[in-house]
Amino acid sequence: MNDTLKEAFGQIRAEQALKETTLSYLQQKTQGYRHAPAASYYRPLLSLAACLILVVCLCLWRAWFTLVSVISIAINPSLELDLNRFDRVISVEGYNEDGQALANSLSIQYLNYQDALEAILNSETVADCLARQELLSIAVVDDDAQRQQALLAGVQSCAAGHGQSHCYAADTTALEDAHHAGLSYGKYQAYLELLALDPDITPQQVQTMTIREIRQLIDDLTDSNPNPQEESSGTSGQGVGPSGQENGQGEGHHYGQEGGHHYGRS
Amino acid sequence: MRSEEEARRAIEQYSDLVRRLCMIHLKNHSDTEDIFQTVFLKYVLSSASFESPEHEKAWFIRVTINACKDLLKSFFRKHTVSLDEVLDQPAPLEDRHREVLEAVLSLPPTYKDVVYLHYYEGYTAPEIGHILGKNVNTIYTLLNRARHMLKETLGGDTGE
Repeated sequence: MNDTLKEAFGQIRAEQALKETTLSYLQQKTQGYRHAPAASYYRPLLSLAACLILVVCLCLWRAWFTLVSVISIAINPSLELDLNRFDRVISVEGYNEDGQALANSLSIQYLNYQDALEAILNSETVADCLARQELLSIAVVDDDAQRQQALLAGVQSCAAGHGQSHCYAADTTALEDAHHAGLSYGKYQAYLELLALDPDITPQQVQTMTIREIRQLIDDLTDSNPNPQEESSGTSGQGVGPSGQENGQGEGHHYGQEGGHHYGRS
Repeated sequence: MRSEEEARRAIEQYSDLVRRLCMIHLKNHSDTEDIFQTVFLKYVLSSASFESPEHEKAWFIRVTINACKDLLKSFFRKHTVSLDEVLDQPAPLEDRHREVLEAVLSLPPTYKDVVYLHYYEGYTAPEIGHILGKNVNTIYTLLNRARHMLKETLGGDTGE
């Protein structure tokens, strides 16, 4: 068997054409045996470039999917748009059933926030609410004051001509509190005002109410409340929530046609 | 870099060895051509000095086997081919040789190198272990199992 195997393997030989092809290849690759193939020099550079491209892609990916700002919209559908640093919507979250239904019905992911906002305001659900004179509350949350003001200006320009709207800047801590209570930021601010007047009110009760209904309840309780000091002093003129963030930012609040709330068409 | 003369000598001296290792591992002629180019270019560019012809031969065996394994891992290689193409030779093989080589090619991949290096190149188990970087006992086991498998396929005495 040893001889058989040896004899059989011995039949396999390199073809002359294969040897000649290999010699030609070596001649060409080494430019007549003078230079090593160029590929051996730039291959490490190519690898480095590939690594750099990968790192850049990872950074871009991270930047694209990092939440930077939030636009919180409350009318009756309550929903929030999470924005990246490129002002694109990276996720939409509904904070009540109507909000979830609206979020599911719209294709606004990765749109610019203004386009997304237009789509929401022009949606049948929101348009119906606005037609019923419901109050639209839009809060802009961003840790960077400059970005926040720019976003607020953009939001205000979108909201203009869409009924009674209230656009204002808010802070991250208050937003977290709102999420903890299961409410959008706008509704949470209204809830806090209501809570000051009616300590028995719960976030669950507020969740299904429209902003106008909450406001109406606040007005009713304010009218029947003999001690006006209990009302948050910040709501007067500024319509501010307990965080106090909005004071002094000068963005203005359009709530209230009477008393301390300046609701009105913006 | 080595000279053209050195390259010609190496090709004349080791091309059959490289060709047989390619036959064991690869499925088609274009892959064999790739391996020839890879192995001999590596030799031409290598600055390694060999202590003896045996050392040089062992280098070619190791480099060829590694190049074949790398190629087999490649996503773009051709995956299937008939045995006729694997055993394609300018002069047709006799049936008895073809039968033996087909039996060797049907062995699991880890056995084929060991069988070739032992039965054709005449290396001992410790030498094969040194060339392939494997434990000597593993080589003995592989040889033993390969011998049994070949005996089952081909029949007859497959003793040392």
